[in-house]
Amino acid sequence: MTKQLPKNNLQSGYDIKLLFPVLFLVGIGIVMVYSSSSALALKEFGIDYYFFKKQTFFSLLGIFALVSCRHIPLKLFRSLAYPFLFLAFLLLIAVKFSELGITVGGSTRWLRLGFFTFQPSEFARFSLVLFLAYSMSKKLDKLKDFSIGFLPHLMVFVIFAILIFLQPDFGSVIIFGAVTWIMLFVGGARILHLLTPLLIFLPALYIFMINAPYRLKRMMSFWDPWQYSTDEGYQMIHSFMAFGTGGIWGTGIGKSYQKLFYLPEPHTDFIFSVIGEELGFLGVLVILFLYFVILWRGINIAINADEPFGSFMAIGLTIAIGLQVCINMGVTLGLLPTKGLALPFLSYGGTSLLINMASIGVLMNIGASANALKTQRGRKQNAKNK
Amino acid sequence: MKPIEKKHIRLRTILIGFIFSIFLSVIGARAFYLQVFCSSWLSRKAANQYEKSLIFHGKRGTIYDTNHREMALSIDVISIVAYPPNIKDPAAISRSLNKTLEIDVNSLNQRLTSDRSFVWVKRKVTPKEVKDVKALDLKGIDFIAEHERFYPNKTLAAQVLGFSGIDEHGLEGIEYYYDTYLKGSTCRFTVLKDAFKRGFDTEKNVMPDCSGNNLILTIDYNIQYLAERALEEASVKFNAKSGMAIVMSPKTGAILAVAHYPFFNPNSFGEFDRNLWRNRSITDSFEPGSTMKIFSACAAIEFGGCSSNTIFFCENGKYKIGKNIVNDTHPHGWLSLQHIIKFSSNIGTVKISERIGPEHIYKTFSSFGFGEKTGIDCPGETSGGLSHYNTWAKIDAGAIAFGQGVAVSALQLITAASAIANDGILMAPYIVQAITDQNGRLIKSSSPRIVRRVVSLDTARIVKKIMASVTTEGGTGVNAALEGYAVCGKTGTAQKIDKKGTYSDEKYTASFLGFIPADDPEITVLVVIDEPRGKHYGSIVAAPAFKRIAHETANYMNIPLTVDNSFGRLVDMRIHENGARG
Repeated sequence: MTKQLPKNNLQSGYDIKLLFPVLFLVGIGIVMVYSSSSALALKEFGIDYYFFKKQTFFSLLGIFALVSCRHIPLKLFRSLAYPFLFLAFLLLIAVKFSELGITVGGSTRWLRLGFFTFQPSEFARFSLVLFLAYSMSKKLDKLKDFSIGFLPHLMVFVIFAILIFLQPDFGSVIIFGAVTWIMLFVGGARILHLLTPLLIFLPALYIFMINAPYRLKRMMSFWDPWQYSTDEGYQMIHSFMAFGTGGIWGTGIGKSYQKLFYLPEPHTDFIFSVIGEELGFLGVLVILFLYFVILWRGINIAINADEPFGSFMAIGLTIAIGLQVCINMGVTLGLLPTKGLALPFLSYGGTSLLINMASIGVLMNIGASANALKTQRGRKQNAKNK
Repeated sequence: MKPIEKKHIRLRTILIGFIFSIFLSVIGARAFYLQVFCSSWLSRKAANQYEKSLIFHGKRGTIYDTNHREMALSIDVISIVAYPPNIKDPAAISRSLNKTLEIDVNSLNQRLTSDRSFVWVKRKVTPKEVKDVKALDLKGIDFIAEHERFYPNKTLAAQVLGFSGIDEHGLEGIEYYYDTYLKGSTCRFTVLKDAFKRGFDTEKNVMPDCSGNNLILTIDYNIQYLAERALEEASVKFNAKSGMAIVMSPKTGAILAVAHYPFFNPNSFGEFDRNLWRNRSITDSFEPGSTMKIFSACAAIEFGGCSSNTIFFCENGKYKIGKNIVNDTHPHGWLSLQHIIKFSSNIGTVKISERIGPEHIYKTFSSFGFGEKTGIDCPGETSGGLSHYNTWAKIDAGAIAFGQGVAVSALQLITAASAIANDGILMAPYIVQAITDQNGRLIKSSSPRIVRRVVSLDTARIVKKIMASVTTEGGTGVNAALEGYAVCGKTGTAQKIDKKGTYSDEKYTASFLGFIPADDPEITVLVVIDEPRGKHYGSIVAAPAFKRIAHETANYMNIPLTVDNSFGRLVDMRIHENGARG
């Protein structure tokens, strides 16, 4: 019996089904960042291509990161798990407690690094996934054990969560929590264990909401943004207007009205609204399809990984991307309360682009090594048959 | 890895993938709902914010004189408006606006609390008021651009220009007659605004061309000015009720000046008697008196076989026709046609009309344009009064021949005289020479229009010579004589009909009609002084004003001095006379 060998996913090549959607999204991202930010850039910096230029630069850097991560041996990643975790911790400390932190709109999320700024929470997310994958693969048999398999991972999350919460970046905390939770779930943690933090988290969330009236108002505005059209619901209804104006076919690239200072962050958090307006429902469908392909490939790679580390790493990176996509889109479409989260590959933001493209590189790497193993096994099988 | 573990991970991973697929489907469904179901509602809602429909009243065109000097123009002014639905505290706003704009608190408060979406606060305010109100930074108060008509030369040519009202509609004069050209159109257009309410779509933001067109008049500011000063001088000197003066180019029919006394200021027309507003030289008719004799002389030469030397017996000052007696100021015996005009003999003129008959008098007068509108581009023109010769009584033919029992407008009179000056060809008078759009491109231009040949070239030349003799020694028009120019002219002294319907001995219309230079006339001038006090002869009241206007206009226009041989003798003689007097 001869096993059909996969030919398109060569060991040394690139997973086309993953590469193509990513590059396509990055390309659309560059165009849409330019379209959505030119008016803002002209106003703030006097040149319309200010964000476009930077996004293009980071896209090229992102491709470099993707290629690098595709070829770096997986073993190296494994050994980097703790150093990365420590580095992420230091960076998060630095952003909050050093002079290097940059505060924009009340949130301290960026580090000043020469000409560029760096968003440590993006790196921390990658490090968390790497650490969890490494640690869980090591403790595979003890994952059902609360104090060994569950609590240490939870503690790492809690430390990161507190540091990011201080920035504050509530959206990232949710992503971190969800990634940790889902990874532990996939790894085989007991459902009962997984439910305990929720029992602590939900009342905490409740108190948190009640104590900060603006958060409560934000929650309320999410249910009925039209009632808060001038303050809390403002972004929401303008996002709706963008989608509505776009209709099925869109107004055409460059012809969004909502980007003209109606939408507060047209090139970052609300780029999907501008896409909805300029490219219409058809554009939205294309974008959804591209993300679906990426997630599907990610899940596929996770399932087919030859070892638990690769499997956990793949699922962690995939859900990190997937959650960002779903939360960002959910916010712009009014399905979720407003959160400041970037849309992977599309939103303006260097760190986000680098980390997400590196993640794709790692995914490809995992997929390729699994294929290599299969190929090896196949050869052995063929040899035996002969 | 144990197979069981792997299967476990595999199942949970597939579950996660499945959940993500559901998420993406929900997102797609939500996008479909917003972009397809709610699209029209949402896009309308959005358009309400970024589109602003504006009604824009185009600026009224400018009226220029022949040298492109502004006679009437519209200036940008700001009006303060309010949008009552956006006003939260009308009482406070009323109070603060009351202080800065000095308007009544109660009426303003009433307007601000009305359920209308737009009310005027104060129209056409000063720049300082705008600045003060802007400094208050009131919500619901806005500023809109309007236009206000402004007449920079104040009273100059006011009756010709007329004026327009607060909404920029022409109410009188040229402003009224050419309103359809001058007025800006009202356009509704859409501006797209960003969230800072700045217009952003440069293509759609271009103001539509709704400005009105400009008029270029034949009126010359300088001639108008000097005519007004001369008219004012004569009118004030003789304490006249009113006065008119017209300067025309006989070769083209272009009106160079139309002066009316008393003056009024169109910038504040409401403060003046409305009887001063109209262009009386066109709308009002009067009995011209002796100035009509030149047209009778034309008829005599054209139809009566007369020459300037044909003699008529002037009955020594009294001539009875039926019950009526015609008088001359000075009794004359036999007079040549030339002398009848020169000395302005009524009896002589009656004799002329008897010789040629009422039909030819009527036809000649009609041909000169009396009894019909000249068709000038000004509102309210009168056709004057010239009844058909069938209806004339025996005395009428003679009386009409010397200017009694016929009513003419000043414009008809000068236009007819210009026909003589123009070698017998009647030109249609006009006052607007060109219409241009707001970018200065020509839309329409008026060129001189020949109405008809009225008399032959010979007849015109003979009458010109006769008229030239009027301003020489012994003629009635000697006060109109100019140095360096041979002046053709004719005095007019008409009794006005009083309330009883008979000719008054107190109220006269004194006039002088003439043109210079005699050999090649460039300007025709008519001065009409209504009800002068003290003196009433045209030769004394109107001729000096004619002289001043003709002299200054000739200087201004650099009209060459008279050198023609046939008139040269007259000039030499006059210079000699002046020298002798001096």
